Amino acid sequence: MIRFENVSKTYKNGTSALKDISLDIEKGEFVFLVGASGSGKTTFLRLLLREEHPDQGRILEAGRDIGELPKWRVPYLRRNIGCVFQDFRLLPNKNVFENVAFALEVIGRPRSTVESQVPQILELVGLSDKSKNLPHELSGGEQQRVAVARAFVNRPLILLADEPTGNLDPANSESIMALLERINRTGTTVVMATHDKGLVDRMRRRVVELDKGEMIRDQVRGVYGIDEGITL
Amino acid sequence: MRVYFRYAFKETFSNLWRNRMMTIAAVLTVAVSLSLVGSALLLKQSAAQASAQWQQGTRVTVWMQPTASASEINGVRSQLANLPIVKDCVYDTQAQDYKEALQLLPPSESSVLTVSDMPSSFRCIPTVPSNAFVVESTFATQPGVYKVTAPEQQIREMNRAIRILQIVFLALAAVLLLSATVLILNTIRMPIFARRREVSVMKLVGATNWFIRIPYITEGFIQGLLGSVVAMLAVTALHTWYPLHNEFRLNTSALLGTNAVVLIVGVVIGSVGSAIAIRRFLDV
Repeated sequence: MIRFENVSKTYKNGTSALKDISLDIEKGEFVFLVGASGSGKTTFLRLLLREEHPDQGRILEAGRDIGELPKWRVPYLRRNIGCVFQDFRLLPNKNVFENVAFALEVIGRPRSTVESQVPQILELVGLSDKSKNLPHELSGGEQQRVAVARAFVNRPLILLADEPTGNLDPANSESIMALLERINRTGTTVVMATHDKGLVDRMRRRVVELDKGEMIRDQVRGVYGIDEGITL
Repeated sequence: MRVYFRYAFKETFSNLWRNRMMTIAAVLTVAVSLSLVGSALLLKQSAAQASAQWQQGTRVTVWMQPTASASEINGVRSQLANLPIVKDCVYDTQAQDYKEALQLLPPSESSVLTVSDMPSSFRCIPTVPSNAFVVESTFATQPGVYKVTAPEQQIREMNRAIRILQIVFLALAAVLLLSATVLILNTIRMPIFARRREVSVMKLVGATNWFIRIPYITEGFIQGLLGSVVAMLAVTALHTWYPLHNEFRLNTSALLGTNAVVLIVGVVIGSVGSAIAIRRFLDV
């Protein structure tokens, strides 16, 4: 589904964000991207969205080199990728339903699709009764569930999550993880960058660890810390 | 496609309404700037027209001696007729000039005049006002000619004044247009800046650039349109009610032309301004 071939990325200010990363992620996999701040996790995700270009190497998604896509095709690439962020990025003046519907409307989906898909996805994230509420009337966990609903309402092939539980308490983090797992079970590839040791340890999924832009670990059923991984 | 039109329509008008204070500011900016531009254009045309009319009225008069013989008069007549720089000549007989003198002079003075005292005259319109001086130098020394008169100094001064006036109005219009463009660009940029979050979400979920752009451009278009309609009303009001001397009064087609310029400039500035304003937020 996703393939990195010797990908390197250096920012203009000289920061080396990724160094010679090669990696395969299969369809339907659930991958944790761990590492300290500045280790290149966010760059990894931005490259997948083609918000950045690699300096070297190439990135394939669904068998296609995304570096070769013409600029006007990039929006269509992004329609196959859902995104969730630490800061939710909901539109404050739109209610829950409108926030989710927005993702379908702006890619030109007809109203009938919006009216059938949005309630369905709100049901999935457990917010059917809050569809008329504005984001500021919701708890952080609820807001993040809206963000997940928005990312998934178009049924993307890939879901990227950049520290989705970073702003949430353990209980809410747990419910977001449950949601991501559920989405993963539908065959969606999930790549999640995180600092949350507890979550990673509990989930026992594939763990890719980055350190100063280098991939120092790729473990099939990993935990957060490398030492613990070895002792287990 | 239908879906898209509905979306663009809904989005445009909800944006206009949601940012109504900003919309009003933008519309007023366009309106004020374009009113000034339109007025400057109108005044420039007025000045041009008035100067053309004045120049048309410029006449050079060749006064004959009261004692001039018929052959002398005919000689001057044929010379004037053959002079290419003279457009049109009318001969006033002594009797006609006497009648004019009676009208122009107070009775105490005109009572001493007789028809035979009066010079007959050729009233000529030169093709270009400055040619009046050529006529003057050609005929002043002709036999039978008493004097050639042309409103020399006035013409020169008037021409210079009008040229300066036209340049001032044009410069004023250019400066106003530039400031209007900058103001509109800024006014449109502000709401877009306020909604960069929305734009970033749209890009994230895969909206195409045109999809994002069109509602904002339509918004700028409408703002420019509303602004120029107000400006057109102001220009028309100026045209209709400003107390101007008849020579300055323009006909309706000149007014329509000016209004058309105002409308086109407003609409173009509005749409192009917003297209430029949003470009920055579309690049990734």
